[in-house]
Amino acid sequence: MVQLENVGFVRKRPGGEQAVILDGVSFCACPSNITGIVGPSGSGKSTLIRLINRLDDPSTGTISLNGDDISTVDPLLLRRKVAMVLQKPFMFEGTVLSNLQRPFLYRNLLPPPAGSDEVVRVISLVRLSPDMLEREARSLSGGEQQRVNLARALISHPEVLLLDEPTSALDRPATDSLATTLREICCREQLVIIIVTHDLRLAERAADYLIYLEQGMIIEEGGVSEMLAVPRTVALQRFLAKPDKEEE
Amino acid sequence: MESRHIVPLDLLQLTYAYGLILLSVALARLCGIGQEKKLFWVSIRMVLQLLAVGYLLNLVFAVRSPAPVLLMLLAMTGFSLQVAGSRIKKRMPHFYRVVGSSIVIGCGGVTFYFCLLVVGYTPWFDPRYLIPLAGMIIGNAMNGATLAAERLSCEMHDRREEIETAICLGADARQAAEPALRAAYTASLIPTMNTMAATGIVALPGMMTGQILSGTEPVIAVRYQIAIMCAITGAVAITSFLILLQGYRQYFTKAHQLR
Repeated sequence: MVQLENVGFVRKRPGGEQAVILDGVSFCACPSNITGIVGPSGSGKSTLIRLINRLDDPSTGTISLNGDDISTVDPLLLRRKVAMVLQKPFMFEGTVLSNLQRPFLYRNLLPPPAGSDEVVRVISLVRLSPDMLEREARSLSGGEQQRVNLARALISHPEVLLLDEPTSALDRPATDSLATTLREICCREQLVIIIVTHDLRLAERAADYLIYLEQGMIIEEGGVSEMLAVPRTVALQRFLAKPDKEEE
Repeated sequence: MESRHIVPLDLLQLTYAYGLILLSVALARLCGIGQEKKLFWVSIRMVLQLLAVGYLLNLVFAVRSPAPVLLMLLAMTGFSLQVAGSRIKKRMPHFYRVVGSSIVIGCGGVTFYFCLLVVGYTPWFDPRYLIPLAGMIIGNAMNGATLAAERLSCEMHDRREEIETAICLGADARQAAEPALRAAYTASLIPTMNTMAATGIVALPGMMTGQILSGTEPVIAVRYQIAIMCAITGAVAITSFLILLQGYRQYFTKAHQLR
């Protein structure tokens, strides 16, 4: 379980000025559940999930994983438990298989071969064909690369999976397919999944619980279907009425 | 071969030599290619700098004490650091501390190893050996240091996505920065490796030419050249290595977060 209590984040700008990116954010994300975080551009949603695997540290508040304050955990050990898929799927030079083997190399472990249980498990989870393992990772389509990205994050058996705008480069069918895949992964692996997205279609199809963030604060939260059907706050109503959510 | 004295160039001979610069300036002006003013003032600067160094060296040679020699080496190091800093647009955090300490350790170590162990002259501070040898080592290491620091800075910026992806996959700071470090180290060594590959074929190196002109047997001059090339390569490699070793850490926090 991931718990955030009163989390704040202040960024120092080059002129010495301080910008409040997050302010008093508290929520809880449970295993076998997908939490969607939506909000306009610049609302602090990407910063929020970066704090959960310590790509950044909060200025105030605490984040705990299964009751342990993550600021006291070795960040390298934490990142094995809390995997993160960044917005742009970066593929390392080499084949899909060599990309999947990366996390093992970083831990000085023997990389699993193509037919190993680990590789077979993740490629079936993300619905990649075994024939793709020998293909050059950078030659794949955006959707395929995002699946490799997902498989690479899952191969270390994380407890938490964080996804930052996973559909930003995907078309509608690929988005729907990813939403289905994420639901399957969540159930089969009993993961805590937190998705940051401006794509309400993904949030609606994948998430169980939704958090609406604006100017670094949680404005509204609740079950996805209720929140999208009957938004309680004017801010969310305004956000839902915008045709392109990132333009706000 | 008998050792001969070098022809001492008098003012008239130097004026003849300077005529070549004036010819270049005139040519640039005549053809309207520009740069003539710059060329002229740079040549004046070169003459003044060399005259000043000449008189200073005369003074240092005359004193025959370690203090002015070491002071001169310190000034050369400081100047090289200032030149390296001015050449780089995008400097790494704590640039002067990182590059300064690397030049002092890399060049200082190699210079004293080379002077005391390889050449083995006495006294150890003899300015006739120490100053020109240290000058060549520091000058070349400065170029390597500039390339290493600049390239590291660019690579860390350009590879931000790659580095953060690696961190997310469990890499520590060094593992994540490895491709950037490899590229920066290669870049810093290329000029030295090119010089080594071309030495003796494309051009005769300056030190060897100077020794031959001053009457040293070519074979001895060649031995000196080989030794100094080894020292230069060692200094460039060690200085660049130290810069990269300290430099990449400036881009990360203790929690292996990219700053």
